[in-house]
Amino acid sequence: MEHWNQLINTALLGTAKKPADSTGMNGPLQQAANTILTGDNTDKEDKFLQLAAVLYNYRLSGTQPVTANLAPTKVCPPETKPYCKPAAVRVLQQVLETDSIQLLQLWLEYCAKANVLLPPAQLPVMLDKGWRNKSLRALIAATGGQRAEWLGHFNPDWNFSRVADTIEDRWQNGATAQRVEALKELRAADPVMARTWLEQSWPKESATVKTELLSVLEQPANPADIPWLESLLTEKSKQVKETATRILKKLPGSSLHEKYWQIIAGAIQLDEYGQVTVALPEITDDSIFQSGIEKLSNDKTITDETHILYQLISLVHPARWEEHFKRNTERVIALFQLQDSLKPFIPALVLAIAWFEDKERALSFMHHSETFYIDIIPMLPPEQQQQFSEKFFDEHPDSIIQYACNNQEEWSLPLCTRIFKYAATQPYTYNQQFMNNHIRQIPVAIAATLDDITPVEAYHTGYWNNIKVHLGRLLQAKSQIQSL
Amino acid sequence: MNLSDEQVLAMAPDESSRKSGKDLANPAKWVSKGVSEIALWGECQGSGSKPYQTQIDTGNMAFKCSCPSRKFPCKHGLGLLLLYSRQRASFPEETPPSWVSEWLAKRAEKEEKKNTTPTATEKQADTTAQAKRQQARMQKVSDGAAELLRWMKDLVRNGIMDMPEKDPSFFENMIRRMVDAQAPGLAAMMRELADISYFHDGWQSVFITQLTRIYLVIQGYQHISDLPPALQQDIRTLAGFSTSQEELKEQTGITDTWQVLGKQTTEEDRLVVERYWLYGVNTKRPALILQFYVRGQSTITNALTPGSAINAELVFYPSAAPLRALIKQQVTIPANHTFNGYAGWQEVVTAQTAISEVLPVYNDQVYTIADLTPVWHAEQWWLQDSRRQLMPVKKTFQHIWKLLALSGGTPLHMAVTGKETQYEPIGVWHEQEYKIL
Repeated sequence: MEHWNQLINTALLGTAKKPADSTGMNGPLQQAANTILTGDNTDKEDKFLQLAAVLYNYRLSGTQPVTANLAPTKVCPPETKPYCKPAAVRVLQQVLETDSIQLLQLWLEYCAKANVLLPPAQLPVMLDKGWRNKSLRALIAATGGQRAEWLGHFNPDWNFSRVADTIEDRWQNGATAQRVEALKELRAADPVMARTWLEQSWPKESATVKTELLSVLEQPANPADIPWLESLLTEKSKQVKETATRILKKLPGSSLHEKYWQIIAGAIQLDEYGQVTVALPEITDDSIFQSGIEKLSNDKTITDETHILYQLISLVHPARWEEHFKRNTERVIALFQLQDSLKPFIPALVLAIAWFEDKERALSFMHHSETFYIDIIPMLPPEQQQQFSEKFFDEHPDSIIQYACNNQEEWSLPLCTRIFKYAATQPYTYNQQFMNNHIRQIPVAIAATLDDITPVEAYHTGYWNNIKVHLGRLLQAKSQIQSL
Repeated sequence: MNLSDEQVLAMAPDESSRKSGKDLANPAKWVSKGVSEIALWGECQGSGSKPYQTQIDTGNMAFKCSCPSRKFPCKHGLGLLLLYSRQRASFPEETPPSWVSEWLAKRAEKEEKKNTTPTATEKQADTTAQAKRQQARMQKVSDGAAELLRWMKDLVRNGIMDMPEKDPSFFENMIRRMVDAQAPGLAAMMRELADISYFHDGWQSVFITQLTRIYLVIQGYQHISDLPPALQQDIRTLAGFSTSQEELKEQTGITDTWQVLGKQTTEEDRLVVERYWLYGVNTKRPALILQFYVRGQSTITNALTPGSAINAELVFYPSAAPLRALIKQQVTIPANHTFNGYAGWQEVVTAQTAISEVLPVYNDQVYTIADLTPVWHAEQWWLQDSRRQLMPVKKTFQHIWKLLALSGGTPLHMAVTGKETQYEPIGVWHEQEYKIL
């Protein structure tokens, strides 16, 4: 190689400045070089090129592999679970072609449920998907096996997959997504132990991990967590503080909730004649506004005081009104509906029912209200959700679609038909990406009636047809996952 | 016929066909479909009123479609094959409809004709005129080579330091001159010189290597009568003289079970070059099948499926180290996963030295090597053999993670292409099966 580098140096300068020479060569190579360089019938350039040809072939003929003393590569431990069937891999290929993360989730859920692993050849693509989509990480970790963990040692982006079987193992040794899942599972069985684990590991966690783990305490919020959550309000990280505040807002009995209620209780009074007066006193406690309550109204027709009260009512548990007015739920609702001073706050009461996921009062509200409030929908039993969604679809199509999308349940066929008929009129909003993101909720049976759904405007036809073709592929892949 | 998605998609002529093929692997797109022992067919509803009739001869892996596409295989052919590989049960087994059976009969008839009719050329060419034309061309190539040599010597005299600043026309003029001189081989070698990435470290060595290769061809051409006959053929091919495929087909070839180890596609000025790397199970020799076509206008009728195997008679182009071959006859057979190959890198470099001895200018070869492990060392990936000797993996290799996932740190038998110190894996033997990467 040294001779070759010397030749390159000559080439860079040019033979006019530096003719080729045989410095450093020995043995037969030097002999050949000397024959070339001492030849009478050739010029300097010919000599250079001939020498280059000899050195090139010398190099080519003498190529040797590198011998290096490398530490032996750590071999991936054998798998204990079987790989998924080839038929499942073929379905996976189709799923990957659709670019739908929800469909991929469904496929991974099948694997996790069947207790089978992803074959090694599929791992790079899947780990890459997991790197880009946090929602897939826990499932990929559950189905990636030892090989996925092993690959994570070579690629830090993929270091989210660890093999861990028990909840404790996943909590102690898992990647963040696995730990979040482990915490969720433990919390469902033993909430006190879950908080203890979290408190113990808290000082060692980074702000991002703290935020992810803390979010687990939100569903559902537990009053027993209040003291610890309040201690987190002094944390350095803004993210962590915001998450803790958000959970505390969902907990009646927390200092923040009680502060909100004290202001409302002082502002809204029921007199001895059954009349309700509303007068907001001056709020001197800045922590109220620091917790996210806006001081000024954006709407000219709504005063700042009403705006503040509206926000506070939407964040206070609806049961407080029953104690405050000394009336049962139905009568509280009636009071809000009848009293002019309270009427503007009915939507805030609805928001409070939704915020605290108060299903019992949601039902009462639906039965005693003539107006339909879509924010109530998620609080109703699943069959009623779909029933009301269909009934009021024409009045609030976009909002109902939004609620239907947030609900993990599969849509009923009539509701899905309503949604698609509307989607056909708005194909730019309800496009292929929309279908990708909600294929979990779309029933496979809709495929049979897709051709009956056509847009009203002729110019939407082409675009809608493309969506339909894509949807057809999604439904086909979904049906194949279901048949695995 | 048992093909994986990867194998079907590897047959696609380009990325857009691959994507469209996937879209068409949807049962809703096919008005009718069916399968028999020797064929697969379907009618695909396109934008026209009549569906396109797509048919595949599964014995020889030949495609035909009534669509106007000039690609081969077209998206319908790929879509149909992909659909079959995914949902075999949805294809009813039946007698082929007339439009399929007629095509199959025509193919069989053609094949028979090829085998029975005398292969000697009927036409008696005007040998004198032909010799005259040949003489004139040789002179033209010789003149062109002399001019190229003068150009190279000017370069060497003045130094190559300022090469990165050169205008593209600096190379283009000489490339055109070589085309005019009827030396397309030299023009292609010059094109490689022009395409060197002059902004990457080490361009100087790559440049001198290529310049030396061109010099060797020129010198070889100018002293062609002094060379052994086989090497004369190599030099003529490298200069750009073509070998008559008809004449080659008249020769007796080598019949064997050939594993299709992989396919590499490159494109230059709309000319697509497909390299199929084959390996003879019994003869234990590699072969390279080259197919050329202008992008979107393929006229090839038989496709090779990477990862599959064919029973075929191959005729090798005359060379000091024969590698390129053409297929005289072929029949697709079930995949053959036998491994034969070198024990390690030392054997590979010894084999290369043997080629170098008889053919000083050669291109990438294919090697099947036992027990290679991908390892990370000195900021790059290497392939380590059972004697712990290493060779670098080409930096442009795209499937290193798939290779690593299949290996899991354990050695795998591997098929690689390359030469000297740059290799690219194209397939591995994993769990007793050959898998393309």
